[in-house]
Amino acid sequence: MWELKEYRIAGSIGEAVAMMRRGPGKGVYIAGGTDLFLFPPACDYVVDINHVGMSNIARTPDGDLFIGAAATLHDIATCPLVTGFAGGLVSAAAAHCGNRPVRTTATIGGNLCNALPSADLAPALLALDAVCYIADEDSQESLPLEEFFTGPRRTVLDGRLLVGIALSAASGGWRAAARRLTRSAEDIALVQVAVALEIDGDRVGAARIALGSVAPVPMRAMLAEALVEGELIANLDPDRLADAAAIAAGECEPIDDHRASAEYRREMVGVLTRRLLASVLAGSTDTSPGTDNEGGAA
Amino acid sequence: MTDFVNNRAGGAQVGRNVTKIDAFKLARGEPVYTDDVHPAGMLWAKVLGSPHAHARILDVDASRALALPGVVDVAWHRQVKPILHTRAGQSHPEPSPYDTVIMPDKARHMGDRVAIVVAETLAIAEQALGLIDVKYEVLPALTDMDEALARTDVLVHEVADPRGIAEGGRSNVAARIDKQVGDVSAALKTCDHVVERTYWLPRVQASHIEPHVAISWLDEDGRLVVRTSTQVPFHLRRILARILELKEADIRVVKPRVGGGFGDKQEMVMEDIVALMTLRTKRPVRLEFTRTEELTSARCRHPQRIVMTTGVMNDGTIIANRMNVTADTGAYGSHALTVQGNTGQKVLPMYPCANIHFQVTCLYTNNPISGAFRGYGAPQGCFALESHIDEVAKVLGMDRLELRKKNHIRLGDTDPLSAKLGEGREGLSRVIRSTGLETAIEMGCDAIGWTRKRPPSAPHLRRGLGMALAMQGSGIAGVDWGAATVKLNEDGSVNLAVGATDIGQGSDTVLAQMCAQELGISYEKVRVLSSDTDLTPFDVGAYASSTTYVSGGAVVKAAQQMRDQLAGVFAEKWACPAGDVVFGDDNVSCGPDKAMTMAELATHALYAAKMQPAATASHMSNESPPPFAAQFADVEVDPETGEVFLRRFVSAVDCGTPIHPGMAEGQIEGAVSQAIGYALFEEVIVDRAGKVKNPNFLDYKIASALDMPEMVTILVPTMEPSGPYGVKAAGEVPIDGPAPAIVNAICDAVGARLCRIPATPERVWRQIKEAGE
Amino acid sequence: MKIVVKLNGRNREWEAAPGATLLSVLRDGPQEPRMTSVKRGCETGDCGACTVLLDGQPVNSCVVAAARAHGHAVTTIEGLAGDPLMTALQAALVEHAAVQCGYCSPGMLVSLYHLLKECRAAGTTPGDHAIREALSGNLCRCTGYVKPVAAATAVAATLAAVGRAEAGAR
Ligand SMILES: Cc1cc2nc3c(=O)[nH]c(=O)nc-3n(C[C@H](O)[C@H](O)[C@H](O)COP(=O)(O)OP(=O)(O)OC[C@H]3O[C@@H](n4cnc5c(N)ncnc54)[C@H](O)[C@@H]3O)c2cc1C
Ligand code: FES
Ligand code: FES
Repeated sequence: MWELKEYRIAGSIGEAVAMMRRGPGKGVYIAGGTDLFLFPPACDYVVDINHVGMSNIARTPDGDLFIGAAATLHDIATCPLVTGFAGGLVSAAAAHCGNRPVRTTATIGGNLCNALPSADLAPALLALDAVCYIADEDSQESLPLEEFFTGPRRTVLDGRLLVGIALSAASGGWRAAARRLTRSAEDIALVQVAVALEIDGDRVGAARIALGSVAPVPMRAMLAEALVEGELIANLDPDRLADAAAIAAGECEPIDDHRASAEYRREMVGVLTRRLLASVLAGSTDTSPGTDNEGGAA
Repeated sequence: MTDFVNNRAGGAQVGRNVTKIDAFKLARGEPVYTDDVHPAGMLWAKVLGSPHAHARILDVDASRALALPGVVDVAWHRQVKPILHTRAGQSHPEPSPYDTVIMPDKARHMGDRVAIVVAETLAIAEQALGLIDVKYEVLPALTDMDEALARTDVLVHEVADPRGIAEGGRSNVAARIDKQVGDVSAALKTCDHVVERTYWLPRVQASHIEPHVAISWLDEDGRLVVRTSTQVPFHLRRILARILELKEADIRVVKPRVGGGFGDKQEMVMEDIVALMTLRTKRPVRLEFTRTEELTSARCRHPQRIVMTTGVMNDGTIIANRMNVTADTGAYGSHALTVQGNTGQKVLPMYPCANIHFQVTCLYTNNPISGAFRGYGAPQGCFALESHIDEVAKVLGMDRLELRKKNHIRLGDTDPLSAKLGEGREGLSRVIRSTGLETAIEMGCDAIGWTRKRPPSAPHLRRGLGMALAMQGSGIAGVDWGAATVKLNEDGSVNLAVGATDIGQGSDTVLAQMCAQELGISYEKVRVLSSDTDLTPFDVGAYASSTTYVSGGAVVKAAQQMRDQLAGVFAEKWACPAGDVVFGDDNVSCGPDKAMTMAELATHALYAAKMQPAATASHMSNESPPPFAAQFADVEVDPETGEVFLRRFVSAVDCGTPIHPGMAEGQIEGAVSQAIGYALFEEVIVDRAGKVKNPNFLDYKIASALDMPEMVTILVPTMEPSGPYGVKAAGEVPIDGPAPAIVNAICDAVGARLCRIPATPERVWRQIKEAGE
Repeated sequence: MKIVVKLNGRNREWEAAPGATLLSVLRDGPQEPRMTSVKRGCETGDCGACTVLLDGQPVNSCVVAAARAHGHAVTTIEGLAGDPLMTALQAALVEHAAVQCGYCSPGMLVSLYHLLKECRAAGTTPGDHAIREALSGNLCRCTGYVKPVAAATAVAATLAAVGRAEAGAR
């Protein structure tokens, strides 16, 4: 059993951070708790952040999508604001986390702050240029999601609270698709790839290739992106896509573990990136693995 | 031979899908499992498991733990008399080595018992574990079978099994088998082709959703009561009596509802612990394993390496078969001899030939303990043989279905191996007296579309079909037996007491159906009491697929005896010949004008004739007729990622005449789901230090509803003369074929032969690469 | 700490450790009666033997803090006794021989109950995939899911028929 001295329930963002800073001893935030109860960290108290008003999902007047850190994965998976954004890339990622009962309480904030290399929401969010909003007792800060992760299970937070994630209105129109490889239907991902392309007439505008489970932190394959970004679609023939995919494979830093070898993970980054680029360019949206238009937002 | 005369009474109680008698209370969540009822004053136990795979336990200092308020007792090896035994839970005399004591002075795998704590709450017990100071002398860990075989300087067991099964003290060999029919080496020289391949089978775990759990207490007479989630209450009573030095008369083992067992609950995984702590503290004690303890310290399917050598002629006639098995029994020799024996015995007879050689070397290592798990060695052997048959067909350039059809065992054939291999001793020979294998193959082929392979559903996928044949047994011939007692009540209801253990497979229901059938009453009139060593007659327990075939035989006999008594009572009252009395539809009659209801007859017996209609009968079979299965897989493979998508799975199974077709199907479907995991993703991964890398369901994956393909289950009824109503067993045979069928389908799709399962995406991908090079 | 919940429609006060899971409080006591339908199978949120409804949504109670339920409604099978939909589901599972050892059954029933309730509210009928998806968090080692899915499909079809009949009547 988890040896905790105190369970604190915060009523506002400010109070949550204050409760965290107050001590004595070590504290952690708790949202859904679905990560914390798996491997309870040694600490003295937790601060419950489910009642601080961070569960909202909203479009701002200028069309940006804001997802509160305490929004649950089930809400994200089913909210029309998210399913209609960038081909439903983020909602599909949420729908693939765990199982239905877990998604009732698991939150996006917990998924990101737990900072596992395999966090399922990270590649999708990275591919859409997500920005994180972070609160301290008396200040707020925002930074790109790429800068949020500092290592396996490590983030920039240091006692601060992740308030939410924002995606720009523009990225909502990008074409996107993702794929995760697993051993069984419900499993920690062995490899995750998310691709998002801004299609601007006969050209690709912005290009994003995000990877998970293949480096200490979820990452973007920026060199590969550069090969695609700004290119005429006509120039993006299979060879070119294969080149980009090979570069992405070169960019990742996978490790061997009992789930898969580094070699396999690296190769799969190549395979999935190539296929996803092709299917996004072809405009396919089907999402299930092992189907014809393989590589949609699955 | 003990054939059943099926002169059953009228009415159809068997062969129909009646309501499972315990299903509603289970679906309502009522308190019917071991942990659902806690006796007053109960203590919570926890096991301190060894952090080392191999280490002498020099000293245990529990003073800090005992000082923690709420801790009641701590026990470790110096305080517990070491009586060698096996926890395998088998019939006496046990064929597994006596290599175990309750509290060992040497830890032989990570998680092995070092100390037991009991405390007033679970939280205190858990906290106390951290306060026990242990001095270990760490020893080199043997985690590789070949290293274990090669080395004699490091021994997992330094004391020999007193009965000479394991070679403790001399080597790490836990069991050896070397049996031959004919002369394989000589025969191979005469064959047109000799095909040899090596196959590797993983360590997998039964993963019943209810963990092992047991609660014990002393009753008002000071007798030890153990309420436990077990498959073998009577074996447990016997073993506990011996190792705790109690009289069997002073022990009562009660099995309530059990949340799945699959062989893993044949083992005495924890009952000795709670019993010991109850005897020490005089208080009720409860212990339940966590999922992590299940995956590190319960039992696994034996990992094996199997070398298959087959000699064939150009026309496909199999001349010789050799199966050489190296197996890892882990830290203790539970079922080391018998599981491995089954690997050959239940598998090689599928293709009878004059020359068969079966060799086993089963090794102790410092890995998690292997033991009984549904299929009991046959899934390993079947994977090797049925993969190998496809390989042989490829070498011959022959159709793999034709090769099987040409060679498989047929009605009237003698199984050449079973006489040589019984339950660890000379067995009984076996002649096939019923088989639906031909029909199963035909119907299965049809259902999978064997000759009409569908195109891939997407251009980047490859499609493949695969098949496998399997056979098993129905109980252990000449060993397994059970007894049943029936008693009639004045309302015409019947109490049926059986030692047979319902662990979810529904044996209580099936036995009630059989009892009702014999008495011509509705099964709802039968009240079943099962598995309470004080109240029910003996049974060896639920394993080796024996319950319906063996225990069912006892029920039928007991019911027939009571029916004869009732016919006598009726005949006397109505002055008619007892032989003409007819039972059926809850009535007893003799001609049109002499009739009464069963309730009237019962009332007459009890109050007028003043006799209690009741009977106890025992049943043992000298045969173990094999059920047969033909299983087929339709897969798609993504050759670039190695992912396998199992689209459709067909099982055509001859399990004799099913008593409850719905539950027989359920046995098949459940077995297939476990075998799909075996084929594709289940593996307890142990590193070189002996540490389990995936000791939870986050990482040890078992099939979920989303992993299941479209399933087709076909029952192929046959009439087995030695089984009551023609039954054979259904529980194990369907777990054998899926893994080879799926792997054969993968090979059909992409041309890559996986000799090692599970066929994870990475393994498939690697094999495709290698095949391409 | 003190936790006030509405358990199966009745207000209750629990005394629980701050780190306790909802599962341990529901199942292990010391508060009586223990909810024995809520089972322990893995304690990692994977097997679903501990599934209960929290404010009407399914959760795996082994990965939810007991304190999280403070001020909320928790429903277990015990609290759905007599509910027509739950009764229909239980009967269907039993009649389809979908209950073998039964250890997973209460959790499955909670998940299916939630699914069918949601579908009924939305006026939809769940297909095979939706049913499997809803059951994907309830591991069953006995049945291979064939009969549970068939049972749920049958109840869904009945509900759809009833829904059509009601719509027709209106
Ligand atoms: C059965 C099961 C299956 C799972 N499958 C997947 C999967 O497929 N993919 C996947 O990615 N994950 C999976 N998970 C992990 C987990 O469910 C998700 O990561 C989930 O999103 C975590 O959210 P939570 O709210 O429950 O986190 P919590 O457990 O509450 O918190 C996790 C960590 O984040 C911190 N934290 C939470 N919110 C904040 C915040 N707003 N600001 C600062 N710190 C915060 C906490 O202090 C803690 O360290 C699974 C978990 C389970 C139990
Ligand atoms: S015990 Fe909660 S999901 Fe398994
Ligand atoms: S019926 Fe046994 S786990 Fe589902």
